[in-house]
Amino acid sequence: MDIQFKEVGYAYQGFKKQYHALKNINLEIEKEGEFIAIVGQTGSGKSTLVQHLNALMKPTSGTINILGTVLPSKKKIKVNHLRQKVGLVFQFPEYQLFEENILKDVEFGPSNFKETKDHKTEYAKKSLKLVGIDESLYEESPFRISGGQMRRVAIAGILAMNPNILVLDEPTRGLDPQGKDDIMDLFNEIHVQEHKTIIMITHDMDIVAKYAKRVVVLNQGEIVFDGKKDDLFQHEDFHTFHLDYPTHMRMMNHLHETLGIKKKFVKNQDELLSYLKEVFK
Amino acid sequence: MNIKIGQYIQGDSFLHKLDPRIKLVSMILFIVSIFLVPITLDTYNIVAMITLFIISILLVFLSGIPLGKVLQGLKAIVFLMTFTFIIQLFSIQPLGENPLLDLPMNLGLISIPLLILLLVLYFFVKKRIKFKTTWFFIFVVGIFYIQYAVTLIPMNLDGFNYQFLVYPSGLLRAGFIFLRIIAVMVVASLLTFTTSTIELNDGLESLMKPLRYIKVPTYMFSMMISLTLRSIPTLLNETDKIMKAQTSRGADFNESSIGQKIGQIIALLIPVFVISFDRAEDLSNAMEARGYIIGEERTKLDVYKIGFKDYLALFVTSAILITLVVMGIAL
Repeated sequence: MDIQFKEVGYAYQGFKKQYHALKNINLEIEKEGEFIAIVGQTGSGKSTLVQHLNALMKPTSGTINILGTVLPSKKKIKVNHLRQKVGLVFQFPEYQLFEENILKDVEFGPSNFKETKDHKTEYAKKSLKLVGIDESLYEESPFRISGGQMRRVAIAGILAMNPNILVLDEPTRGLDPQGKDDIMDLFNEIHVQEHKTIIMITHDMDIVAKYAKRVVVLNQGEIVFDGKKDDLFQHEDFHTFHLDYPTHMRMMNHLHETLGIKKKFVKNQDELLSYLKEVFK
Repeated sequence: MNIKIGQYIQGDSFLHKLDPRIKLVSMILFIVSIFLVPITLDTYNIVAMITLFIISILLVFLSGIPLGKVLQGLKAIVFLMTFTFIIQLFSIQPLGENPLLDLPMNLGLISIPLLILLLVLYFFVKKRIKFKTTWFFIFVVGIFYIQYAVTLIPMNLDGFNYQFLVYPSGLLRAGFIFLRIIAVMVVASLLTFTTSTIELNDGLESLMKPLRYIKVPTYMFSMMISLTLRSIPTLLNETDKIMKAQTSRGADFNESSIGQKIGQIIALLIPVFVISFDRAEDLSNAMEARGYIIGEERTKLDVYKIGFKDYLALFVTSAILITLVVMGIAL
């Protein structure tokens, strides 16, 4: 196991009492080949959980093993190198841009680690190409490009660190439908071509249905479901997770209620379409 | 990151419920009274000072704020207080009075290295212990003890020899000033403990109202204060986010050298700068969309009414002040 959570808990210290953001989390994540969606209501501890993945936060109880580094440790140890291996893209990453030109900004990440320092320009250009930023923009100020482009540049800034595991906190938030598809296709491509593990927080169940392989559902700081997405959507306690069904399943349910079509589990819109064709033949 | 802005603690005590304007005025009256007590060693002045001190401690109990919390706020001035105390002890050397304590002291070849050693030890231990204030007092006592202890060595000491004389009046005077500083600090911190920033702002605005007649734009000041206060938590929040985002890009503020830190500060400041401009523009648009015009007369959501308890507070503090003034003139 490359990342392992053992009975992890995280508590915020309030004025009088503690607030438990995470309780008793047990989770195992492989370095390669996983595409995990973390879903749950607002305030269910998703962001807190992903910030543990690259040692931004340290558990107040239990232990995490991140690629061989066990946290929290009694001795003072350096954790910065973990951030090169587990790349974390925050919500609205465009706010983290600061350099005078795009290329320099993307180089900032790799220049901070000795593993990537010598290849920073190479990695930066590679990841900018990957996110679809044209070479003519490299010398442009990151504040003079459109919002969608800014987000791409910011994501390239993480990709340029060449992480083994990519963690994304709502990467599609605030994007238009086309932008959403583009960016999700980009992550999927990275996942398929380089077998990198991708962990993403999302509220969009269509994205979960389309891209994720494994889903972790959080509710009030606890993992209530961890498994394949098909099992999730067919789970009998699905309504207790406070989640929505993806569009094609909502259509199915609607047709079931209005036209009385017999319910069948469909994985995507194509399956729904072929099932409907079958029914109405 | 855990920065607390303001130290308001919610409650429903007498002090919490007081009208902020009255609270401000009463506090000023009370602090003026504390400073009006002359530092002389007549019995009635000592009694007056102790009474005022006891009143301020009673106010703490009245407010329902834990005494420990208030005293914690005093930690910041421990150094200042100790310093004044010692200066008082040294400078008050009245003639014709028998000293309480008369110790020979030496500052020379042996004691100076020892003092430096003590200083190093102080800073070394300070980082590793919790009871820092107590440790500070031990340190201060240590300074004088070393200077005294070297005179016990039966040999001729070079350097600066002097007598450490503590006179009763010096001790009293030092204690007097000590009480005064604590009382003022306690009262001032009680104001911030029991008044929310909004109330404080409202109170200040309405106290500044007369300034409008001489064309001072008080409404602008109060709007500026409230907007500043309002945006501090937002900005801290954003700073925290950016810091985490840049840390994720390898700019760890805890693990880097000074040289790296400079570059990392820029990585933090520029985004925060950009965000604050964005937020400011959004906020001003939102305010104008809701009809805000600078300088226009505005109504208030909270209208403060001066009630019985407010008159009482005002009466008591003015009574204290007047009594002290009369006492000062009469005696």
